[in-house]
Amino acid sequence: MHADAAPGLILGLDPLWFATGVFALTYILVMTERINRAIVAMLAAGVMVLAGVLTQKQAVGGVDFNTLGLLTGMMVIVAITRKSGVFQYLAVWSAKKVNADPWGILVMLALVTAVLSAFLDNVTTVLLVAPVTLLITETLKVSPYPYLFTQIFAANIGGTATLIGDPPNIMIGSAVGYTFNDFVIHLAPVVVVIMAVTLIPIYLIWGRSLQAHADDRRRVMEYDEKEAITDRRVLVQSLSVLTLVILGFIAAHGLHQEPSTIALFGAAVLLLLDNYPRTAEAQTHAVHSALTEVEWVTLFFFLGLFIVVHGLEVTGALTLLANQLLSLTGGDMGVTAMVILWGSAVASAVVDNIPFVASTIPLIKAMAPTFGGPDNLMPLWWSLSLGACLGGNGSLVGASANLIVAGFAERAGHRIKFVPFMLMAFPLMLLSILIASGYLWLRYL
Amino acid sequence: MSGPTARDVMDPKPTVLAATDTVSKGIGYIMSGRFRNVPIVDGRGCYLGVFGVDCLLRLVLPQAALVEHGLTDISFVSDNLKDLRRRLHEYEDKPVTVCLSDEATVIRPDTPLLETLLVLHQTRRSVPVVNPEDGCLVGVVSYWDVGKAILAQEV
Repeated sequence: MHADAAPGLILGLDPLWFATGVFALTYILVMTERINRAIVAMLAAGVMVLAGVLTQKQAVGGVDFNTLGLLTGMMVIVAITRKSGVFQYLAVWSAKKVNADPWGILVMLALVTAVLSAFLDNVTTVLLVAPVTLLITETLKVSPYPYLFTQIFAANIGGTATLIGDPPNIMIGSAVGYTFNDFVIHLAPVVVVIMAVTLIPIYLIWGRSLQAHADDRRRVMEYDEKEAITDRRVLVQSLSVLTLVILGFIAAHGLHQEPSTIALFGAAVLLLLDNYPRTAEAQTHAVHSALTEVEWVTLFFFLGLFIVVHGLEVTGALTLLANQLLSLTGGDMGVTAMVILWGSAVASAVVDNIPFVASTIPLIKAMAPTFGGPDNLMPLWWSLSLGACLGGNGSLVGASANLIVAGFAERAGHRIKFVPFMLMAFPLMLLSILIASGYLWLRYL
Repeated sequence: MSGPTARDVMDPKPTVLAATDTVSKGIGYIMSGRFRNVPIVDGRGCYLGVFGVDCLLRLVLPQAALVEHGLTDISFVSDNLKDLRRRLHEYEDKPVTVCLSDEATVIRPDTPLLETLLVLHQTRRSVPVVNPEDGCLVGVVSYWDVGKAILAQEV
């Protein structure tokens, strides 16, 4: 709980209820998507300050700049790296490794998506892999639907494995101080199992019927993945920096550095390497181009949201909610972990998981006294991470990557409909949460 | 309008395609006449859109490279002319409407001459002339029609 003092009545309302009302309205407006979510969050943050729920200083203090810095740094690095064509190379290479067998390609592209998602943001990953998928399925004359469906799952599952794979993990890591290694050690094992198990029903439903003519497979085998590399200099520079940044994340704890410092420093080094021989004018153009790839809408959404949630925290609304949740679970760690896991999974399937996680983090922090201090909350943090990240697979609106793939498929004439997707995806998501429950129970509870 | 208009420079009997004509027929017109666009009309002669070389290119390129956020570089794909021919063949018996584009700029018969030239300059292709009252195609203005009309004048 934050130490800042709560203000007096606002518009005749207790600040707790005023802040709760602002948060609820923010949530509703974000869900309806009638107004851009960055605008909604910034307006709500402004209301929190102007109404006196927070002072300017408190509002700035509530912003998690570590999360913003990490997201920004990685976005810049990926924006430059993608110019090299390395991601297309990987996708084509993996398809050829299985002799262009349709089911083999589905598995390989899912694995490539999952691994890339662990290190890049999910939206970027699917934007890179989906077009190659469409090209390959077009050549093989098979439906792209099972491939794109699997990639949605792979992106959300793979993103769960690391600190930088999915925004909920970045937020949890930053708020609690968990390192890159903590996420890999505690989440990657179950993520591998979930990915493998998820492929079984996909094989039974679609895999057995995926067939391609030998001539079409030959055409895929004739793809020259080396030609996908469009800029070898950028390739070497960006992969070197990306590798060093990931090594930096692994060593961050020992170096006493925050992941955001490492990501932003890596981005700056890569911008320098990418621009060094250019003229001043060309540098301005190139840097501007790289920075326009940064998802400013997401960053400003986060910025506003952190302030709104801090308003809830300062007024004591989240402590009240935490106490109510604990009274429901009887203060039992196992029950509380399961409630958080399943609750966040179902919630994340239907609403944006970023505001959900942003508000649940201080809620879990407020449970520390009940469970004997912050160090004992680990099962709850992993429950939140697994629930929020994997829950995104439950419906088309569960995660940004899902909507990006659906939009891409629709433009390509292969519509992914909401209800048929959910009928397949929701049970599969529940299966992944069941596996996560078993894992949490066996390892931590 | 007192000055010269599109009507004065247009070809009043342009080559057109019916909505029921096949892609194969459209390709024949484009190849033989070196057209960039051929207007498509309905049974009453009303303008529906154009069938053009842009669409033919779309038919032979992989869809993955054409959609928004698609592949920006396909140099790793080594399709040969036979592959392209095969891809085009899949569309040859389909109606030209699969390639209908209704986004082409059109002008009216009374569009002033200079405005007509500006549209030609901006679109860089022949422009259909459509009667605003009934939507029917009354002609097409091409670079050649305009050039012929200008050169016919005495200096």
